[in-house]
Amino acid sequence: MIPDDVLSSIEMIRDSARGIARQDLGRIRKLRFTLPGFDRSVWAEMCSLGWLALRLPEERGGAGLSLLAYAALAEEAGRALLPEPLIPAILASGLFDGVRHEQHIAGERLVLPAWMDGRDALEPARSLDIRDGRLFAHRIHVPLAAGADDFLVVGASRGALVAADAPGVEVTVHQTQDGGHVADVRFDGAPCQALAVDPRPALAEATLATAAYLLGLMDGALEITLAYLRQRVQFGKTLDQFQVLQHMAVDARLEIQLSRASIGQAALQWDTQGASSAAHAAISRAKARASAAARKVTRDCIQLHGGIGFTDEHDIGLFLRKAMVEAPRFGGPAQHRARFGQLKPIEQEC
Amino acid sequence: MTYEAYQRADYNALSDDAFRSLIRRFLTENHPPELRHPPKRLRWIEVKPWYMILSAAGWLAPNWPRQHGGMGLDPAKQLVIVDEYERFGAARTPDHGIMLLGPLLITYGSEAQKAHFLPKILSGEHIWCQGYSEPNAGSDLASLRTEAVLDGGEWVVNGQKTWTTLATDASWIFCLVRTDKTRKKQEGISFLLIPLNTPGVTVRPIINLELDTEFSEVFFDDVRVPQDNIVGEVNQGWTMAKNLLGFERIFLGSPRLAAAALVKLRRLGVHYGLTGDEGFVAAYTQFRMELEDHEALFSSVADTLKRGGRLGPEVSFLKLNLSDLYQRITQYGLELVAEDGALLKSPNGSSDLAVQTQFLNSRAVSIYGGTTQVQKNILAKAVLDLG
Repeated sequence: MIPDDVLSSIEMIRDSARGIARQDLGRIRKLRFTLPGFDRSVWAEMCSLGWLALRLPEERGGAGLSLLAYAALAEEAGRALLPEPLIPAILASGLFDGVRHEQHIAGERLVLPAWMDGRDALEPARSLDIRDGRLFAHRIHVPLAAGADDFLVVGASRGALVAADAPGVEVTVHQTQDGGHVADVRFDGAPCQALAVDPRPALAEATLATAAYLLGLMDGALEITLAYLRQRVQFGKTLDQFQVLQHMAVDARLEIQLSRASIGQAALQWDTQGASSAAHAAISRAKARASAAARKVTRDCIQLHGGIGFTDEHDIGLFLRKAMVEAPRFGGPAQHRARFGQLKPIEQEC
Repeated sequence: MTYEAYQRADYNALSDDAFRSLIRRFLTENHPPELRHPPKRLRWIEVKPWYMILSAAGWLAPNWPRQHGGMGLDPAKQLVIVDEYERFGAARTPDHGIMLLGPLLITYGSEAQKAHFLPKILSGEHIWCQGYSEPNAGSDLASLRTEAVLDGGEWVVNGQKTWTTLATDASWIFCLVRTDKTRKKQEGISFLLIPLNTPGVTVRPIINLELDTEFSEVFFDDVRVPQDNIVGEVNQGWTMAKNLLGFERIFLGSPRLAAAALVKLRRLGVHYGLTGDEGFVAAYTQFRMELEDHEALFSSVADTLKRGGRLGPEVSFLKLNLSDLYQRITQYGLELVAEDGALLKSPNGSSDLAVQTQFLNSRAVSIYGGTTQVQKNILAKAVLDLG
C-alpha cells in the first residue's frame, strides 16, 4: 500500500502539473508540424518547477521524489497531450552530472538522449565507438532532436555527451503522426565527453513514465468522448442512452482502471525494491498493458464520435495520433511480453 | 494453541503479517487435512467436521461483531482471512447464514430473532440457503412473484424460488417475498424466514451445466409460517437486502478463479510438452500478465478498504474483468487439448488436467451475482454518468 507521505507528494506534483497543462489543446494544435515542435517558454516553466530533477537525490540537486510521483506527473502530461520532451529529458537527467547537467536541469540547455541503435529494441545493443575523444555512432528515433542543444548518446555500458552543433553531427528529421518529429542522428567523429553509464534503470523509469503518459492520454480521450455522448442527439435521444455505446464506454474505462492499477503497482514495487528483476517485469507488464489499452481506447473513442471523429478539426483525433507515437515508444506489447517472459519464465514444476 | 488463546487475540490490532501468521497457525493446527483443496464445493455431511471446529474456536463468523459470537474483523482483516484460507486450500463451509443472513439480522432483526437464530447458526443447528431468484426474476430480481399473505397470524407462502445454492443441505431458507402487489415493485417485498421442513415446501435439485446438483428449485404450496418470521418492517425487504450488499462484492472479483485456471493451463503445457512452443509461451505469458494486472486492480480496491473507505459501484469492474479473463483462459485451454477436450473425464482420470470441467464452470461467472451485461448497465449509469 502507498504510504501517506508519498500520497501527499503525488497530489502536490499533480496539482503543479495541472497548472501547466490547463487542457489547452489550441496550443498543442498550433505547435503541430513545426520545429522544434514544442514551446521553449513552457519548457522553461517546467524546468523552473524542478521537474527535470524530481527523481534525483537531494545531493544531486534533485527533489528525491518517488517513481510513483513521476508517474503522476507523466499522467497529467499525457492527459494534456503536452508535446514538450519531458520524459526524454528526465531520462537524460539521471545519466550524467557536471556543469551541463546543471544547465539542463535549469532549462538553459536541453540535453536529449539518443539510445536506439536498432528498431524494435528495449535497450542499446552495442557499446559505443569512441576514438581519441571522437564519437562514431548512428542513432534512430531520437525524439524532438531538432530542439536539442546536446545529445547524450547511450551505448550498452558507456555514454557520450555531444553538442548538437558540433562538427560531425548530422540530424535528419522525420515528422511523426502527432505533429512532432524524431531524427536519425549520425555522429561521424564528433567531439564528445565520454561517460560511464548503466542505461537500464533509467530506461525502465522512462518506460513506466511513458505508460503513465498513455494512461493520462486515454483517460483524457474518454472524458471528451463521454461528454460528447451526453450531448449529441440522434434518433431523438442523446447517444448516452444507447446501451451498446454505454457498454463500449464501460469497456474503455475498465482498460483505464487496469492500466492505472498496473502502473501504480509497478512504480510502488520499483520504489520499494529498487531495480529488481521482478520490478523490471512489473514495468514491462504495465507498459504492455498501457500501450495496448491506449490504442484500443483511442480507436474506440473515434468510433464513438462517428463522422466528426474522422475529421482533423475535432480534438479526439489528436489523442489517437499521440497514442500511435507513444504506444510503441520504449517498446510495445509484444516486446514487453517477450521481456516479461524472459524475466519470469514458465515454472516447470507443478 | 487453545481456542481460548486464539480468541484472546485482538485481531484488528495485529499487523496484517502477524494476523496472516496467526491464521496459518490456526489452519495448520485445526483444519482436517483430508478436506484441503477439495476439487469442488463440499456437501454439508462432508464439511461438517470443519464447521464444528470453526464453531468451537469462535472462528466461524469473521464478519460478525464479537458480542454476537463473531470475530469482529474489520473489512481489511476479512480480506486477509479469506486470502489465507484460499492459499491454504481450506474447505468452504455453507456460509449463507454467516455471510448474508447474520449481518441482516444483526442490523434489522428483533432482539428475539437475534437471540434465537444467531446462536443456532454458530452451532450448526441451522444451515441456511438463500431464496431470492425466481424463474421470471433473475437479473430483474425486483419483479419476483413468490407471495406471502397474512392469514390468522400466519404468513401463507405460494410460489417458486430457483438457483438456490445447497438447498438440499439446508434446514432453513431466507426469502424475498411479495407482500403488497399494489405498490411499486421494489416497495412491496418483505424478508421472510422459512423452515424447509414446513409442509408444502418441496426442494428439487437442478442438474447444472457441470452435471452437478449444487442448486435446487424450491416450491412453496400454501406454506404457513409464523407472523414473527418476518425480519424488519413489512415491505422493507428490498431496501434491507440492498443495504446489506456491502464490501463483500469485492469477493466476486477475487483473482482466485483465474489464478486456478492459469495453474491448470501450465500443467496442460507441461503434460503436452508445449513449454518450449512459441505460441503456447506467448499465450501463457499474456494470460499471466493479465492475471497480475487483475491482482493489481484487486489490491487497489482492497487498499480503499484498508484506508477505511467504502466501496462504490466501481467495484463491479473487478467482476467484469475476472469473468472475461477466467473464460478466455479456459477457452484457450480447451482449444489447446484439441480432441481430448471432448472427453467427459481427462485421459489419465486426474482432475489436474480436466480443462473441460473448468471451461463449463467458467460459463457461470459472467451470469451469477448480476450478469456482465447488467453490471455494464449499472457502471455506465452510476460511474460514467451516462443515460
